Amino acid sequence: MIEFKNVSKSYEPGGEIIHNANFTIAKGEFAFLVGSSGSGKSTLIKMILKEEDPTTGHIIINGTDTTSLKPSKVPYLRRSMGIVFQDFRLLPDKTVYENVAFAMHVVKATPKHIKRQVPMVLAQVGLADKAKVYPNELSGGEQQRVALARAIVNNPSMLIADEPTGNLDPNTAWDIMGLLNDINLRGTTVVVATHAKDIVDRMNKRVIRIDKGDIVRDEKGGYDGEV
Amino acid sequence: MKYNIIGYLIGEGFRSIIKQKKMTSASIIIMCATMFIFGAFYLIGENVNFIMKQVESQQGMRVMIKEDATDDQVRNLQTKIQQINGVNQVTFHSKEDALASMKETLGTHQELLDTYVEDNPFPASYFVTLTDLTLNKDVQSEILKLEAVDEIASSDDTISMLASVAKGIQLGTLVLLVILIIISIFIISYTIKLTVYARRREISIMKYVGATNSFIRGPFIVEGIIIGIISALFSVGIVGGIYNAIIDKLLTSPVLQRINIVLYGFSDIAVKLLAVYLVLGIGIGIIGSAISMRKYLKV
Repeated sequence: MIEFKNVSKSYEPGGEIIHNANFTIAKGEFAFLVGSSGSGKSTLIKMILKEEDPTTGHIIINGTDTTSLKPSKVPYLRRSMGIVFQDFRLLPDKTVYENVAFAMHVVKATPKHIKRQVPMVLAQVGLADKAKVYPNELSGGEQQRVALARAIVNNPSMLIADEPTGNLDPNTAWDIMGLLNDINLRGTTVVVATHAKDIVDRMNKRVIRIDKGDIVRDEKGGYDGEV
Repeated sequence: MKYNIIGYLIGEGFRSIIKQKKMTSASIIIMCATMFIFGAFYLIGENVNFIMKQVESQQGMRVMIKEDATDDQVRNLQTKIQQINGVNQVTFHSKEDALASMKETLGTHQELLDTYVEDNPFPASYFVTLTDLTLNKDVQSEILKLEAVDEIASSDDTISMLASVAKGIQLGTLVLLVILIIISIFIISYTIKLTVYARRREISIMKYVGATNSFIRGPFIVEGIIIGIISALFSVGIVGGIYNAIIDKLLTSPVLQRINIVLYGFSDIAVKLLAVYLVLGIGIGIIGSAISMRKYLKV
């Protein structure tokens, strides 16, 4: 599903941010990508999204080597993944419903399909009663739920979350993790980049740990090792 | 059912125009301003061309016919002159016409010419006008080769002066128009860039959820086109109002009435100007939005 083969990345000669990364995340898996800020986590996420290309090595997503993908094919790659960010990235002038429907408009879904799908997904993230509300009237946790709904509304095969709980208090963060877990249980591959130790420890999932550009650990357990 | 993409694009374009009122009005005002200057030069250019045509059609040469030419030769001469490239109209003036017009010139002293009625010394002639004043010399040399031609009377200096003035004005307006179009594209692409900048967040989200570049560009181009059309309609109205006011003044002025020159009324030119404005507005809208989008599509 997501495969990194000897991936290195440097923005300038000699300044390697990712050093020879190798890992495979299988279909339906839940994996944390952990490390302190500046460790190279975000760069790894950016390379999965093909926002950045590796300097050397290959990234294979759903059987396609994305390192040699033409720019015109990138939108279709992105449709196979839902993306969630720390800062939610909702459109302030659109309602909750419109924010989610927007992701379907973009992939040219039929109005009939949109009308059926959006309420279903909003119910799934627990926001069925907030469809007509604007993002600035919602709490941070609720906004992240909208972002999650938007990420999964097109039924992507994987969900990539970059610090999804970074702006949330611990209880709300835990709720969001619960939702990510639900989404994973329905068969979606989930990759979460985070440095929230308590959450990683509590979830007890696969952890890929990066330190100064090196993958230093890759096993099931807590943030620092066995729980 | 296939997704109604056109409806979506137009809907989004209008939505953005309404949402971004300030930006849209700024674009429309700037576009109208450039279109106004453009329109002013365009109308001046069109009228100068129109005037030049009228002046040209009044300029010409008098081809004197030999005293001993037969009627056949005279008739032949007319067809031959008519066939020369660059000749517009050929009008015959008989000896009697020549005498009559000379009398007219003398006014109250017509009796001076009474002695000539029996033995008219004025030659019959053809008055030849040209389609293009720059061909003056060529036409003259062709005519001189013909039978029964005595000589040619022509105000060569005036003709060559008029020809070069006409060419100069045409070239000048063309250069100005090109410069104005380039400036317009630059200004409009800058204003649309501001709109795009204001919506960069939306664009980046679209990129992340897998929108194709053409899909993202669509509403902005529609927006550019709508701004272009609105500006074109406004500009025609404004330019038309001002033009008509000026033309009214000019046409009733004694100078213009005396030299017998006609100017275009705005209705003669409105459809053409609107067409030019629409092509210009839509073209600048499309090019402007395409230029301003480039940077933001690279995510």
